[in-house]
Amino acid sequence: MARRRPRRGGVPVVSAPPAAIGGLGVDDARTRARAAAETRQDTVFRLVLASSATLVLVVLGAAAISMLWGGRLAFETFGWHFIVSDEWDAVEHRFGAFVPIYGTLVSSAIAMVIAIPVSFGIALFLTEIAPAWMRGPVGAAIELLAGIPSIIYGMWGLFSFVPFMAANVLPWVDHNLGGAPWVGALFRGPPLGIGMLTAGIVLGIMVIPFISSVMRDVFRTVPASLKESAYALGSTTWEVVWQVVLPYTRSAVVGGIFLGLGRALGETMAVTFVLGNAHQLSTSLLMPGNSIAATIANEFTEADSDIYLSSLIALGFLLFIVTFIVLAIARLMLASLARKEGR
Amino acid sequence: MSRATGLRYRRRRVTDVVAKVLGVAATGFGLFWLTWILLVTLSNGVQALTPRIFTQDTPPPGGDGGLANALFGSLEMSLLGVLIGAPLGVAAGTYLAEFAEHRPAWRETIRFVNDILLSAPSIVLGLFVYTIAVRPVGHFSGWAGGLALALIVLPVVVRTTDETLRLVPDIMREAALSLGIPRWKVTVQVLYRAAAPGILTGILLGLARISGETAPLLFTALNNQYAATSLNAPTASVPVVVFQFAMSPYESWHALAWAGAFIVTVFVLLLSVGTRAYLLRNRVDGAA
Amino acid sequence: MPMDTSVAVPVPAPEKAGAPKLSVRNLDFYYGAYHALKNINLDIPERKVTAIIGPSGCGKSTLLRIFNRIYAAYAGQKATGEVLLDGENILADGYSLNQLRTRVGMVFQRAVPFPLSIYDNVAYGLRHHLKLSRAHMDERVERALREAALWDEVKDKLASSALSLSGGQQQRLCIARAVALRPQVLLLDEPTSALDPIATGRIEQLLADLQDEYTIVIVTHNMQQAARVSSHTAYMFLGEMIEFGVTAELFTRPQRRQTEDYITGRFG
Repeated sequence: MARRRPRRGGVPVVSAPPAAIGGLGVDDARTRARAAAETRQDTVFRLVLASSATLVLVVLGAAAISMLWGGRLAFETFGWHFIVSDEWDAVEHRFGAFVPIYGTLVSSAIAMVIAIPVSFGIALFLTEIAPAWMRGPVGAAIELLAGIPSIIYGMWGLFSFVPFMAANVLPWVDHNLGGAPWVGALFRGPPLGIGMLTAGIVLGIMVIPFISSVMRDVFRTVPASLKESAYALGSTTWEVVWQVVLPYTRSAVVGGIFLGLGRALGETMAVTFVLGNAHQLSTSLLMPGNSIAATIANEFTEADSDIYLSSLIALGFLLFIVTFIVLAIARLMLASLARKEGR
Repeated sequence: MSRATGLRYRRRRVTDVVAKVLGVAATGFGLFWLTWILLVTLSNGVQALTPRIFTQDTPPPGGDGGLANALFGSLEMSLLGVLIGAPLGVAAGTYLAEFAEHRPAWRETIRFVNDILLSAPSIVLGLFVYTIAVRPVGHFSGWAGGLALALIVLPVVVRTTDETLRLVPDIMREAALSLGIPRWKVTVQVLYRAAAPGILTGILLGLARISGETAPLLFTALNNQYAATSLNAPTASVPVVVFQFAMSPYESWHALAWAGAFIVTVFVLLLSVGTRAYLLRNRVDGAA
Repeated sequence: MPMDTSVAVPVPAPEKAGAPKLSVRNLDFYYGAYHALKNINLDIPERKVTAIIGPSGCGKSTLLRIFNRIYAAYAGQKATGEVLLDGENILADGYSLNQLRTRVGMVFQRAVPFPLSIYDNVAYGLRHHLKLSRAHMDERVERALREAALWDEVKDKLASSALSLSGGQQQRLCIARAVALRPQVLLLDEPTSALDPIATGRIEQLLADLQDEYTIVIVTHNMQQAARVSSHTAYMFLGEMIEFGVTAELFTRPQRRQTEDYITGRFG
């Protein structure tokens, strides 16, 4: 039974039902009008928010359509031939996307070859090897790599890295790997410094923080009990990672890799500075080339004919489609791990 | 223990050690590049830093000068980008987190598309703005540049607003609604206040990102040797000037490019590090 | 202690003695396809403390959340039947949710002070619903804080952040915030489950005073608490109302076997 205590603080007893005081809770015309106004306000608010959200979709759709439209002259003129043609002649008005596409794909491939194992090693270090006090600062430092604007990578690439490559690395590569069977042709060439290999390395460094941070985040989501039972059976750290953590996070790791690939494919400034902007196709990685983004960036303001401009926009459209697909795959793979966790 | 199991155990141990060494090496590899890039940028940039950078406009080929017009143009267009992109982003993020409970498929579609927009190549967004804001009017402009930057800020802010609002506990929403407050007021007066640190961080991170962007400005704002008198004209920006000057053969232009690169790097890194530190101290869910 | 002189409407005729404040008739509730509450019938007496008890998942919080229709904020949750507040069905389409919530206030399991000052927390609802002068607002805030037995502890720091208070104080602040609107009914959903015994005790004492003004419905998983604070108790199990009666009788001479099993600790 509730205990009664004497009045404290002199709170007065009021004889009217409490809510009636001050007009609250009373159902009269004024409060009903107010309720209607509040419903209208809520509706307007929701509408404004929904429109802004729809804008996100509109932007993506409009971007795709506008580039398709801008590139239609090129697509109509060259047809499918556009994708496989390696011509690029501003005077004769003949353009083909093959050289830029090739450059984009090869530089990105080199970037992934470097970035994937390095990112994995960094994720391994930060989740399993490093002492706790080191994880925050070192992780933050790696994240800084992602924060550096790409034009800085370009500057450093052109003025520091390229001379270094030309003087120290590329002669070695040409001398030692240039004669190898099958793959030798890839590594034979003059030590220009700028070129596919240099661009691929710079891209790889740029992409490392994106892949490693995804890996690090998903490695941390593995339930401790899962890892502990493996340790209890006598597994080494490496075995736990390779046999428990990686399988558990497999789809998200792939998602992270695709995310890095998406960034590498679309990267402009870093590549423009060090790839050489040469519309030529060579097997050697030491030779300069071109990428889609670099071509657009370099030649857009010089495009003096409609077909030239349209070809550049068509290139942009191709890039957009490819990165869209890659990023969509990345997103789906990352989402599947989140679902597994019940999020 | 038999000789065979001893050997197998040793091999496992060796593999484990090798893996750990490689992990350390990979981290060292990453840090090595970071250090090299920052050192080069800072040392070259500091050497090129003079008060003239802030007082004089960009010089003609081979001449001496500063970056004043580029700095001003960057400031103008970045602000424009944030002023357009941030409110739209907050509104869209609020919709996704709070007002889409009856349309989960629509909501997830928008989230999906937003994530793609977040990582899309910025040059593509620049091309898009070219076709809608430059071609129709026939000239490059600071407005178009600002718009392109806004499109980069937008998905960042949408995502952080969405995630931050979802971190606010349901119970706070219910407590405000239980007082008879209409939903829009609950969102604006209670939820935004609780989520403010996170939302602000998203906006600042968006600003950090656009401060270093070059590609989208190349065919929207183009460049200008002088300070543009209005945003309706082509407008200089630091990243584009750096690009133009670095690719040129002139020493004096190279020096200015380094100065610009230095300023951009310092600004972006301070902003990124600062906002993350701020967020860490003011987490919405109360965790330290 | 100044009296609240802002009586703006005439006092309605007093209810006939014994009429229930809240009347639940044939209430069913669904979370999507899941049938959570089954044919609930219940009369909550006026100006008393009524406790709702039962094991986890029995639907007591679900029932409580129907009284201020807070479930309406979520998609897929639906109630059928009637809930009468002073004879009016609050589940009817035309009944304004915001108006309902000025008549029926709620306090939650965890203290949720808004990120505002102590004063602004209490004044928040008042500022939205009423146009009060500064002096009147101060009065109402003070009265609410006194009712929540918090005034003496915070009167010198009304401008400081609500988050600087202890857990028990924050919960009393939430009570003050709810009673500031002077609702007719006060709902409390396990209000002390996150608090230590001393803070719990203070809030239980609070309820004894508050029932002079408000009809109180409290959900608790703690039977002893129900026995301490309430005059009437309802026992629920698996979404059904099993028994309802005067607390003393329900705990000493339960009429249903299920009630007795729960009270004697045979399960739950």
